[in-house]
Amino acid sequence: MKEKLQEIHSKALNDIESINHLEELQNIRNIYLSKKSELMSYMSHMRNLSGEERVAFGQLINSIKEDISNKLEEKKKILEEAKLQEKLNSEIIDFTLPGKSYSRGSKHPFNIIVDEVSQIFIGMGYQIAEGPEVETDEFNFELLNVPKGHPARDMQDSFFIDETNLMRSQTSPVQAHVMLSKHGVGPIKIISPGKVYRRDDDATHSHQFGQIEGLVIDKNINMGNLLSTLELFAKSMFGEKREVRMRSSYFPFTEPSVEVDISCFECGGKGCSLCKGTGWIEILGAGMVHPNVLKMCGFDVNEYQGFAFGVGVERVAMLKYGIDDIRKFYANDKRFNKQFNKE
Amino acid sequence: MLASYKLLSKFVDLTGITPEEIEHKLTFAGLEVEGVERLAYASNLVIGQILKVENHPDSDHLHILQVDEGEKYGVEQIVCGAPNVRVGLKVIVARPGAVLSKDKFTISKSTIRGVESNGMCCALNELGVDKTFLREEQIKGIEELPTDAVVGNENVLEYLGLDDVIFDINVLANRSDILAIYSLAKELSALFDRKLNIPEPKKFSEVPSLITCSSATEDCPQFSIKVVKDVVTKESPLWLKNFLMAQGIRSINNIVDIGNYVMILTGQPIHMYDLDKLESNNFVVKNDFEGEVVCLDEKTYKIEKGDLVVTNNDKPVCLAGTMGLLEVAVDSNTKNIAIESANFKGSTVRRTSTRTGLSSDSSAHFLKGINPKQDRFVLDLTTELLVELADAKVVEETVRYSVINEEPTKIECSVSYINKRLGTDFDYDYITTILNRLFIDTIDVDHDNFIAIAPAHRIDLQCNADLSEEIIRYVGFGAIKSQLPLMVTTVGGYTSFQEKRFRIRNLLIDSGLNEALTYTLVSPTENEQFVLLNNDEPYVIFNPMTIDHSVVRRGLVKSLLNIVEYNLSHQQEDLAFFEVSDVITKGSNYQELCVVLNGNKTVQGKLRVEPYDFYDIHGILEAILSQLGIEKNRYKEERLLDSKFYHPGRTTKILFGKNVVGVCGQIHPNYSKDIGETYVLELNLTALLELRVPQTKMAQISKYPSVKRDLALVVKKDVLVDDIIRCVKKAGRSIVKNVEIFDVYQGEHMTEGYKSVAIKITFQDDSKTLVEKDITESLDSIMNELYKVTKAELRK
Repeated sequence: MKEKLQEIHSKALNDIESINHLEELQNIRNIYLSKKSELMSYMSHMRNLSGEERVAFGQLINSIKEDISNKLEEKKKILEEAKLQEKLNSEIIDFTLPGKSYSRGSKHPFNIIVDEVSQIFIGMGYQIAEGPEVETDEFNFELLNVPKGHPARDMQDSFFIDETNLMRSQTSPVQAHVMLSKHGVGPIKIISPGKVYRRDDDATHSHQFGQIEGLVIDKNINMGNLLSTLELFAKSMFGEKREVRMRSSYFPFTEPSVEVDISCFECGGKGCSLCKGTGWIEILGAGMVHPNVLKMCGFDVNEYQGFAFGVGVERVAMLKYGIDDIRKFYANDKRFNKQFNKE
Repeated sequence: MLASYKLLSKFVDLTGITPEEIEHKLTFAGLEVEGVERLAYASNLVIGQILKVENHPDSDHLHILQVDEGEKYGVEQIVCGAPNVRVGLKVIVARPGAVLSKDKFTISKSTIRGVESNGMCCALNELGVDKTFLREEQIKGIEELPTDAVVGNENVLEYLGLDDVIFDINVLANRSDILAIYSLAKELSALFDRKLNIPEPKKFSEVPSLITCSSATEDCPQFSIKVVKDVVTKESPLWLKNFLMAQGIRSINNIVDIGNYVMILTGQPIHMYDLDKLESNNFVVKNDFEGEVVCLDEKTYKIEKGDLVVTNNDKPVCLAGTMGLLEVAVDSNTKNIAIESANFKGSTVRRTSTRTGLSSDSSAHFLKGINPKQDRFVLDLTTELLVELADAKVVEETVRYSVINEEPTKIECSVSYINKRLGTDFDYDYITTILNRLFIDTIDVDHDNFIAIAPAHRIDLQCNADLSEEIIRYVGFGAIKSQLPLMVTTVGGYTSFQEKRFRIRNLLIDSGLNEALTYTLVSPTENEQFVLLNNDEPYVIFNPMTIDHSVVRRGLVKSLLNIVEYNLSHQQEDLAFFEVSDVITKGSNYQELCVVLNGNKTVQGKLRVEPYDFYDIHGILEAILSQLGIEKNRYKEERLLDSKFYHPGRTTKILFGKNVVGVCGQIHPNYSKDIGETYVLELNLTALLELRVPQTKMAQISKYPSVKRDLALVVKKDVLVDDIIRCVKKAGRSIVKNVEIFDVYQGEHMTEGYKSVAIKITFQDDSKTLVEKDITESLDSIMNELYKVTKAELRK
């Protein structure tokens, strides 16, 4: 009988071995382990056996049953694994096809510069001031120390609407608006980005372009403060190694006035085509606010001093991104705009 | 402005100072040198003399010359094509190896049609002299040197007076004085601490004058005349011609050249009248003349009230400060001259010049501002030159009219003020020494305070801040110590408005749209199209450059449609752009946001694309409103039926109360024939951003289970889904937590004109678990309401 059991056992193992499909597993399980199976039918013989034999026989059947059950489980795992593998193999894809579109659009390079400069100055405690694009002669010129007939009006041939109104030719009138709103009490720390308009049109001049104006007014502001502020700006915008130098210049609303150059970020100052061999790039105009401007805008010149600076938005973008024609900013050719999608 | 190195060195000692040093120093002192050019470029030149001229056997115009080049080089054979070759002529020879003109044209030994040629005989333009300064025969042929030229002389440019360097200086509006070579010489004298040598004009014995002069207008505060007689018109000497050439001016004759030379030196435009053509001795400057005049350029100009004119015997003789009249002009027969040196107000000269379109070197000087205190000097200098170069015999006394305050400008200043402004610590002696070098005299008050006296030519020096600039531009800005401002801490940042705008722009960019930048100034036609948000009167530019940019736009839609058209015409398809920009009209000033969609939306590369449709543009609107926290109850959306620019069935307007703040939908096919189906969203961004949105407060999440029920409704086609949802929410009361549309169907199996809408309702109570009865009751009232409002029935 024992031999008979072992025969069933080995047959069962053979059968399990030869299974190829998960569906067959249950079948084999029924044949060998169900209550009506041959193996189980031997359980009824146990009644005829004596105590010790009965125990031994029971243990034998149980061990065979357990072994078959285990082997079935193992086989099931193997088959499931194989089936999964087969499924995975059938699901192979071409990973080189285009991904589904979650692609970002692009910020306009003009606004990339405006946003970047804004962030730099916000970090230094500045606020962003905005003003109207149609201005009065008073704000665009007179409050900025450019009275009627002043030769500086020639420097910026403006689009006039009538005797009093014009398209602002600079962002500087925002200075006057902010100063007047403060009624002679400092401090003021603002930058003012925006569009301005002049009668000019070629590869480097557009009749519409952008400026960012800066203004700081307080009791002990001097030229050294202007220099260090612009140094911080240049380093943040164009890299840690940038140096700043100032050259004497003229703007009606500042005195002294300076043109500000930064060391060339392309060649590091050795001289290249970008800086035309000089090692320096002219980037902005600045100066100490003219006492006449402070006075006209309600500040006591014996108490307050200030500095101001202005930078051309497209100029910075053209330098930074190597854009060769200002008109490209306004054409909105998809091939141009999309290039800035990581900025 | 152009400035000749040689001319400058006549008046200031520039020994040992290179043009490069001058360029650098001037540039950093605020007189930016934009270019440094040589008057002529040539190496390996020698003066030669033609010994023999033979015709070239193979040419009808070439000659074979034997040219004596002096002891060092001997006689060389040169093939030359110039028509004016002849035996005995002294010529400029460029020897083999010579490099000529800016274009670096190199001369080498060559064979020309079989004949050896060892060099080239030159015309001046071949040495780089601008053709505008040469006579026709000088350009057609080779330069003919005087008979006393020394054969074998190799310093040819020096011999010709062409060894000069020209600075091109960008004169800024405050330094109009630099338009005078004398002032520039003073500047160089100060910057390099070199000796100045501007001689006083020679004095001649003068006879009394019969001239009288005056001004009837404030716009001419000074007017002086000096008469010089018996002049002879002739060619100017070479030195004068060369200086004029260096300064960019063509030589005409000695009289005209003297006028130009005096203006170059002093910055004072002078005008010369032929005394014998004048009707009287009485000059009056007026600004109330009206009529037509013929100027020196032989053109007729209309004079209006306000224009400055010089009159003689009450008739105009000069368009003051700009150009004289033809009938009184000096010519080659002129014997007696009345020289005018006057001060005309720049803004008045500018106005006349702008209106008439007539400008001159003279008017350019006046409108920048001139030194008002040098008329005597100028007239004496002119006289000296007329005596020297035009053989003038009789000199009359200068006759002056002047109401100018001859007192110099005095400025109160202090050392501490200058240091406070610059952030420096210069001492009294240092500061005053520098000012003195710049010809600014100083009077010590208490060794801190001082009084500065501006020299007459520095009309720009008006206040103590100006003096701080003089100091630092002299010392150099390198002396400024970098130091961050010491001041109270200020909070930096965007305003709430700016912050929200920044977020909206980023939302759109992150959603795949490209940000655009377009022109504010548009054409009048464009400004009539697609302007639904703004009916105000637009601003019109008085002096536009072109009609295309002549009015201030009232909206952005047309600008963005232009972008679509531009891209399509450049084979760029599938376009999604937006722009945020100011819109400003006579009655409003706000910011607008505009989005345009055209072509296909990419779902997965080009494998799966979907044409943009209404729900794309509306989805963008929904995203913006949701980003701003503007909920549905804050605005209304209605069909836009009455605009010819938009598709009536696929466009809506967005309203805050009665104000239309946005348009969303499809461009009318009539207006998108060339670009195809196009969707636009235009929003008054300012209205949206300024809407107050309540602070977010957490809502309790119900702990009781929710129940979902689906309803399939049949309604007429034109019933809006929004109305269905509103009915469900209203009738279902607070236990209806959510209503969603999950299917809309029309077509087969549906009655014509009807559609099926499937909705999913979520019921939930905050205080108890809902039982079936609650749901059924709620559904009953929902169905009642739906039927009442929309005639909806359950689908069978």
